[in-house]
Amino acid sequence: MKTYEDLAGDGGSNIISQVVSQREKLRSRLDKIKNKVALMSGKGGVGKSSITANFAACLVDQGYTVGILDADLNGPSIGHLLGVGNDQKLQIDEDGIQPGQGTLGIKIMSMDMLVSNPDTPVMWTEEGGATAVWVSTMESTALRELLADTNWGELDFLLIDMPPGSDRMDNIRDLIPELAGAVEITIPSPLSQHIVAKSITKNNTMGVPIIGLIENMATYVCPHCDQEGKLFEGQDVSELADRKGVPLIGKIPFDTRVSRKTDSGNLFYTENKDSITGKAIAEAVENILNFIEKKSK
Amino acid sequence: MKFLCIPCDEQMETQTDGIMPDESKNLAMKFKCKKCGHMIAMLTNKFETEFVSKLGVEMGGASADGKAPLSVVGSQLSQAKKELDRGKPEDNLVWTEEAQERIKRVPFFVRNMAKKTVINFALEKGATLIDGKLMDEVREKVGM
Repeated sequence: MKTYEDLAGDGGSNIISQVVSQREKLRSRLDKIKNKVALMSGKGGVGKSSITANFAACLVDQGYTVGILDADLNGPSIGHLLGVGNDQKLQIDEDGIQPGQGTLGIKIMSMDMLVSNPDTPVMWTEEGGATAVWVSTMESTALRELLADTNWGELDFLLIDMPPGSDRMDNIRDLIPELAGAVEITIPSPLSQHIVAKSITKNNTMGVPIIGLIENMATYVCPHCDQEGKLFEGQDVSELADRKGVPLIGKIPFDTRVSRKTDSGNLFYTENKDSITGKAIAEAVENILNFIEKKSK
Repeated sequence: MKFLCIPCDEQMETQTDGIMPDESKNLAMKFKCKKCGHMIAMLTNKFETEFVSKLGVEMGGASADGKAPLSVVGSQLSQAKKELDRGKPEDNLVWTEEAQERIKRVPFFVRNMAKKTVINFALEKGATLIDGKLMDEVREKVGM
C-alpha cells in the first residue's frame, strides 16, 4: 500500500499551494521594509503604545519612513494616538488595503480601522459561540493578513505595537523571522518588573533578539520647574537589566503632556523634543538604531 | 491529509462540488477514487473544522474572494465595515436574505465550494431565486 510520501499531490485540495502563495505574498510585502522592531511588555498599562507612537515620531524627525502595525487586536489604540479615526473609509484594491495615514505621515494598520464603529469590539462570528480555539485561530490569521495585505510600500521601519503579555510573540516570530529585535518596556514597580522578567526569559528561550529594556515613567517631571521626582517606588530597573543580561536603553520620565498630546492626535515628541522626556525618547531611539547598525555589520 | 483507495492503491481526489457543510461547522467533504469511482466522505466535528480553518485556505483552490485582501478577516469579523463584506454571493441569481445568511455561515474555507454547488443546482433546475427551500433541496440531493 502506498504511503503518504508516495502520493505526490494533495488530491486536489490545493492547500499546499495556497499556503505557499500566502507566504510569498507576505514575503514580498516585508521585503520592502528594511527594519522590523517589536515593542512589548509582559505587563499592560506601561505605556507601550504611547512610546511606540513617540518613537515613530522621533524616527520620522530623523528622516526615516515609518509604519506601525497595531498587533493589539483586542485593545487597539494606535489609530487613536495618531489621529486616524474609525470613520475613515477603507481603500481596498487588488494590491491590498491602504494603511491609515497618521500624524507625520506615519502609516498604520489597526483592527480599529476595520470595525463598523468606534465602540465595536473585535468579535469573530455573530453567534457569540466562538470557542477559545476559534478565537486564537482567527487572531493568528488576522495578524498575518494585517501584515501581508496592507500596502505598506517602502519603509525604513515597521514598529509593531504588541499587546500585553508575551504570547503574541510566537506569531510574530513565525511571520517575521528577520525581526530586528524586541524592545521590552517596564515601569519601575516591582510587579511590572516581575512580569517583564518572564517576558525577557521567554524571548531569550525563543531566540528573539532583545534590543534592550526601557524604563517608562522612570521619574516625574514637574511641568513648572522641570525638576524630576520619583513616581513609583520600586527596585532599580538597571538591576533587572543586569540580572537578565539585557542593556537598559532608556529611562523615560513621565510628562503629563505626553498623554495630553497623544489623546489629541498629535505626538508629544514633535513639539517637545528638547524637553527632558523628549531627549530621553531620542536617546532610546538612538540606542535602537545603534543596535540595528551593529547587527547588520 | 491525503486519502488512499486501498483496493486500487490510488490517491482519492477532493471533490469540488457536492459539498454541503452544515452551518454548525460540522464539515462534510467528498473524495473520489479516479480509478474505480468509489467515494468516501470525511466528516469533521466543530473543533476539527476550526483546526482546518487555521490555515486560511480554501478547499479546492482559492476563489476571487479568497485571494482578496483581508479575505479571512473580512468574512469572519463580526460588525466589520461594509468595504470588507465578502459574504454576499456575486452572480445573476437572486438570493433571498435567508439564503445569503445561510451561505455566510458556512466556514469561509469551503464557502466558495458550497456556493458553486447551490448555483449549479439552481441553474440545472432553471431556478432564478435561491431561497432556504432550494438550499434544503441541494442538501438532500448531495446527500449531506
